[in-house]
Amino acid sequence: MNLDSVRNLKASLSETHPMTLALPARKAAPLGIPAGRTKDVERVQPGIALGVAPGAVEGDYRLAVRVQHQGLARSDHVAQLISAARGDADVRFIGRVTKREAWNEDQHRPVRPGISVGHFRITAGTIACFVSRGQRVFILSNNHVLADENQGRRGDEILQPGAYDKGRRPRDVVGLLEKFVRLASGSANAMDCAIASLNKDVEYDPRLPRARRRLSTDLAAPEDASRVEKVGRTTGHTHGRVAAFEVDGVVVEYDIGNLRFDDQIEIAGTRQPFSAGGDSGSLIYTSGDRRPYALLFAGSDAGGPAGRGVTYANPLEPVLRELRVDLLT
Amino acid sequence: MKAASISKARAAKAKAAELLGDSKLVNGIGIAREARGYAVKVNLVKAPRDGAVPAEIDGVPVRVEVVGRIKKQPLSTNNSRRRRSA
Repeated sequence: MNLDSVRNLKASLSETHPMTLALPARKAAPLGIPAGRTKDVERVQPGIALGVAPGAVEGDYRLAVRVQHQGLARSDHVAQLISAARGDADVRFIGRVTKREAWNEDQHRPVRPGISVGHFRITAGTIACFVSRGQRVFILSNNHVLADENQGRRGDEILQPGAYDKGRRPRDVVGLLEKFVRLASGSANAMDCAIASLNKDVEYDPRLPRARRRLSTDLAAPEDASRVEKVGRTTGHTHGRVAAFEVDGVVVEYDIGNLRFDDQIEIAGTRQPFSAGGDSGSLIYTSGDRRPYALLFAGSDAGGPAGRGVTYANPLEPVLRELRVDLLT
Repeated sequence: MKAASISKARAAKAKAAELLGDSKLVNGIGIAREARGYAVKVNLVKAPRDGAVPAEIDGVPVRVEVVGRIKKQPLSTNNSRRRRSA
């Protein structure tokens, strides 16, 4: 079918087949919803969702039928939908659909890489990892996450989670801004980075979240990596490939104006965009051997697979050198 | 065209910067890894007119991609006027 035909069919079926919409609890009872007081049952139960699915060849489309309840999978109702599409339907059982998990946006103690953090005046970014100088331990992230684009002062409070994720003072203060590399508007920048000291009563865990796997102690050079991963506050754990390195003349839009960056790394997501807003500060590491690689700080609005943007990151070794810290793994 | 060694790609990148560095269309010039070597990668804000970017420089292939505008990654938030975004 062509696209307009599928759209018209979908609209028509949605009107004539009310069960294609989410089911009121009362109507869902015969399908096996556990008996109980109606006030104890969700007001709306999963039913059948309709959409448009790509066909076998470019420009060809089919009616997408997504069944959310096993009791409906072999029902006459689904058969009628297939018949209405003259067999040109893509039917799949998808089960329950839940809202996206927001684990990385919550408060976590001990604090870990990949979770929400921020200077008290900003919304939220991501903890890259932990670094040390002597006996002191610091959070590593971006200047624009921990130091509010050069506006922060040493000793400013750092929240985990960040203020956008309901981090509040003094309850969620985990540390204090220690040092940042100034963002320059008159010359090329190499990095967007800052560190914050950890309060003594805040424990940290340097392992990657969820899998609890440790990073390698060996850093990967910009030209040495191909497949990479990151864990960020917004998009969580994503995979990508290095699309370019030693990229000069990257102009990035900040609140304080457009800033130029040289020697940057560009990453394209493999199955989805590699990053999104709030992932600033994420540590990027190599797939497989988990070598720390780069510090995520920006993204574009085009390019990459499906044109949904690419990610930019600072090579990690110069960041650690400039801040005079060692990586904790 | 065959991909080049990394040293040839670096030299070609420097030439690409001389040729294109002043263009407002260009938003980054770097090096891309290919199957058997390296190429120059030129990032653009929008699609160029034909011939605006050479297909190769000194035998090194030039790959072009429109990446659009690049931003620090802000959260979409209603209170962004009050709080800076990260």
